[in-house]
Amino acid sequence: MDSLIKILPTWIAFSPLLGFFCLLWVPRNRSGWVKGVGMLSTLPPLLLSLFLYQRFDFASREVQFSHTFDWFHIPLPQGQTWSFSYSMGVDGLSMPLVVMTAVIATLAATASMYVKKRTKGYFLLFTLLEVGMLGVFMARNLLLFFLFFEVTLVATFFLIGIWGLVHREKAANQFLLYNGLGSAFMLIAFIGIMVLFQTLDFSRLQMVLNNPQTQMALASQPQFQTLIWGIFIALVIAFGIKLPIFPFHTWMLKVHAEAPPSVVMIHAGVLLKMGAYGLIRFGVELFPSQLREAAVVLAVLGLINILYGAVLAFVQQDLRRVLAYASVSHMGIILFGIASLNVEGLSGAVFQAVSHGFISALMFFFIGSLYERTRTTRIEELGGLARSMPVLSGVFLAGGLALLGLPGMSGFVAEFLAFLGLFQTQPILAACGAIGLILAAIYTLRAVLGTTFGPDRGTWSGPADIRTYEAAPMFILLALIVLVGVYPGVLGDPMQTTLQLIVSRIGG
Amino acid sequence: MLENAWTIPLFPLVAFFLLLFGRKSWGEKAAAWVGSLAAFASLAVSAGVLAERLSGAENSLLSFSWLTLGETVIRFGIEVDPLNALMLLIVSLISFLVHVYSYGYMKGDGRVPVFYAYLSLFTFSMLGLVVSANLLQLYIFWELVGVCSFLLIGFWYFKPEAKQAAKKAFVVTRIGDIGLFLALLLAFWYTGSLELGPIFAAVEAGQVPAEMVTLIAVLIFVGAIGKSGQFPLHTWLPDAMEGPTPVSALIHAATMVAAGVYLVARTFPLFEASPVALDTVAYVGAFTAIFAASIGLVQNDIKRVLAYSTVSQLGYMMLALGSAGYAAGAFHLMTHAFFKALLFLAAGAVIVALHHQQDIRKMGGLWSTHPGIGWLFLIGCLAISGIPPFSGFFSKDEVLASAWMDGRPGVFAVGVVAAFFTAFYMFRLFFLVFTGSFRGEGNRGSVPKSMLWPMGILAVPAVAAGFVEYPTPFFSRWLTEGTGLAAEAGGTVPLWLPVLATLASLAGVALAWAMYVKRVLPADDLTKPIPWGYRLLKNKYFIDEIYAKGVVLPYRWLGAFLRGFDRFVVSGLVRFSAGIFRTVGRIGSAIQNGQAQTYALVSLVGLVLLIIGLTAGRLFG
Repeated sequence: MDSLIKILPTWIAFSPLLGFFCLLWVPRNRSGWVKGVGMLSTLPPLLLSLFLYQRFDFASREVQFSHTFDWFHIPLPQGQTWSFSYSMGVDGLSMPLVVMTAVIATLAATASMYVKKRTKGYFLLFTLLEVGMLGVFMARNLLLFFLFFEVTLVATFFLIGIWGLVHREKAANQFLLYNGLGSAFMLIAFIGIMVLFQTLDFSRLQMVLNNPQTQMALASQPQFQTLIWGIFIALVIAFGIKLPIFPFHTWMLKVHAEAPPSVVMIHAGVLLKMGAYGLIRFGVELFPSQLREAAVVLAVLGLINILYGAVLAFVQQDLRRVLAYASVSHMGIILFGIASLNVEGLSGAVFQAVSHGFISALMFFFIGSLYERTRTTRIEELGGLARSMPVLSGVFLAGGLALLGLPGMSGFVAEFLAFLGLFQTQPILAACGAIGLILAAIYTLRAVLGTTFGPDRGTWSGPADIRTYEAAPMFILLALIVLVGVYPGVLGDPMQTTLQLIVSRIGG
Repeated sequence: MLENAWTIPLFPLVAFFLLLFGRKSWGEKAAAWVGSLAAFASLAVSAGVLAERLSGAENSLLSFSWLTLGETVIRFGIEVDPLNALMLLIVSLISFLVHVYSYGYMKGDGRVPVFYAYLSLFTFSMLGLVVSANLLQLYIFWELVGVCSFLLIGFWYFKPEAKQAAKKAFVVTRIGDIGLFLALLLAFWYTGSLELGPIFAAVEAGQVPAEMVTLIAVLIFVGAIGKSGQFPLHTWLPDAMEGPTPVSALIHAATMVAAGVYLVARTFPLFEASPVALDTVAYVGAFTAIFAASIGLVQNDIKRVLAYSTVSQLGYMMLALGSAGYAAGAFHLMTHAFFKALLFLAAGAVIVALHHQQDIRKMGGLWSTHPGIGWLFLIGCLAISGIPPFSGFFSKDEVLASAWMDGRPGVFAVGVVAAFFTAFYMFRLFFLVFTGSFRGEGNRGSVPKSMLWPMGILAVPAVAAGFVEYPTPFFSRWLTEGTGLAAEAGGTVPLWLPVLATLASLAGVALAWAMYVKRVLPADDLTKPIPWGYRLLKNKYFIDEIYAKGVVLPYRWLGAFLRGFDRFVVSGLVRFSAGIFRTVGRIGSAIQNGQAQTYALVSLVGLVLLIIGLTAGRLFG
């Protein structure tokens, strides 16, 4: 039993495959069965990751449930071999993201009931996507990380390209173009690391890089410095596209606008967070001194993201685009947290990753159910929805309040911590960023009040208010948002030890 | 009792959940009962706490850890010192009375349970705000009362004006909130804590540079400016009158808008340590007092006159605090809560009696049909105008005295003129509504009993609350006990001061009487010589227009510009890079057929690249 628990991350990452294989047996024309099995297939990873949360030792400084197997070797002519290992594990940084991924995947599967065509293919890809996402957060080997990362890319590409709206193919192509470019940068960086350090194993890399001897050796040779910087910049670009950092954000606008809402729940909720995770995992953990020197640049980029996204969210006519630019703005807060390089700021970045995951999942669940009823998400065509759909409108309002960072909800804790962190190192930039909190209120209220308040147009008197199968996921998300907002320790405690360790390494 | 203070905010919170989730099953009456009972429970415990405080118990502090960050632990807590205890009683008393009153006012609205749910949530947040012992915790409740205010202003969501007003209230107060937010971040890095006690201790010990104390204090005051409707962030408060009148009485007159004053009083040790901050508070307060009072002179909507009056009176409180009159500011906060809530509730009764007519030009002669409301309104007017021995006389006197004794004759003079204005516009209101002949149409309806008796109760402290400070300054001594703050201004207040203040008020009453009862001085004759002056006041100094043209419009332009920028310049970057890829792709498609499936091979291509990389690595190695 113990040996089974020891490889829990592997179980979690591949548990969606159980559903995948069951789905293969379900005839494609039995749509109800397909949806049922598809939704159930997200339960094993959810239960296992909750089990992981329960078994996770908050105080441990080690990577937990870590296990490594030899994978394959490439013999080199000079008698050396390059060995690649399969290595998985979780620490305080990845564990919250794993749990968040499993939760959002389950709820997004519920939201997938709005999918009308080719449900079997949809759910097959959906389960693969979940394998990729869970794997990304738990892989302890760079090659493994890269493979999981690519799985999410391919799955998302088809999910957008086949099940999206009218311009789905264009959106999917742009998605692939940008993310392919990002993957190329990541690959270059990983190859560089392999060449320099002869290993892609994360723990060994960390040991080597934190070794004073290596640091001396690196410092003494300027061409190594250049290489390291090149690797670092390639990594920042790779994850910056994913996050996204301005000006690499245009691809995700199309995804927000064209992909089916259930896929956007995953996309905005989890996939963007892979960028944040990568920046912390590879940027902060492997190259702390480079990151420290680049911190001001990151903070400035964060400021641009916050303000640029907020202003543009204010002028959009489509609710999906409002939320897309809101995401750009919120990802700036993650950059703020990372750039501060202290426990407060890094906590803020992780809080923001998780909180924004829940909030955008909630918002796009709402968008999905709204579109189901009104066939439009344009603000000027909506208005006065509170009359005919009071509960749905209430949920949207609550989600909006979370989005603008109302205290008592998760977004506030994240913003507070990120600003607190950056205030120590870059008070002026942080103070400028605080303007974003005002702008967030402006664009959110415009969008929310524009659709739900105002005189009843009478156009939407037909559609029913919230249904039970919609209410349950929405209220679960709201409850999670409020839980993290009221009792942030539930999220903050597990990651404190790891973050403290990371920060102490930066300092040393 | 003090150790049970933490239960005070919980009753309304429970009521909120009961009402929200049971809104379909509760009837109007049941909802009113649930909300009112919860508020009454809070009131009962608050009264017990205050009684214990009055008998001189120790300060009680209850705290628990909220979030651990590395080595820092953020602790939240509940504190009961005299100021908290006083605020608890004021908030829970007025909240309870407004809950009862609302039953009559909101009858037949259809969403009464939701209304009571919001009202309960507000009461919870406000009570939570006043017991907070931590700046962050205070900020959390600070924002929560703001959102409740937003929800209640926009309660009639289908009215476009209500929607606009709600949005404006939220956004404008948030501008101020950012000040408070930055203040608490600064305080954390300079004192290592967010708890009030350690912050004050660090400031007192001189650990914080003087200019930082000033910055923190001024930023806190920016928060207070937003919440308490001080110039230049006052514009949301008059618009907030779009909400139901009980809400105006509770939130936008007696409690939430006074939170800014409370905040300055709560963090007074910071202000005391910074003369610049004190000056800022005094001057902004004084300016707001006269500025809002002058607008109030010419408004015709009964609730808007009261709203500008509220802004002006809040300026009075700030003026007192800025003049080192800690006790005077808190004293005026208390009396104002009573008489302004009374005035708003009475105005609500007038509005109900006239079938939701709010224009005072279409009122008149109400004394003959509704003498009860007339008496209550008159009491409120006498109190706010500072006519002895009503409560407002004593508190206004203390405010003016602290300005004079602090060596601020200019501020003092402004205060006296504002007192004259106040008396004038209040009695203008009273005479236009209750005397003369009825100028409206239709019959005048009756007002339910459940609306009358809460007003009757409020009238008692509106008349008599001043005597807590007279003949002995019991109130200010109790309030400042153990705080190290001065109870009264040093030296003796000159005897002519209250006389002058009273004369100014009486002059205002007399002028109103001459203009609107005797009509020896018709209003038109006064405005004719300076038409632009009248227009300036009538249009509230065009502040809203200035903001619309100077802030909102440029922001829209910026948005439109960036929209184009994003579409053409940033996306142009995409097209450019896409062009490069397309060229590469064309070469590729010369070999392959270019089917969509090939995209699936991207991952494999990655592996191929990896192998190429390996070879390249060998060359380097």
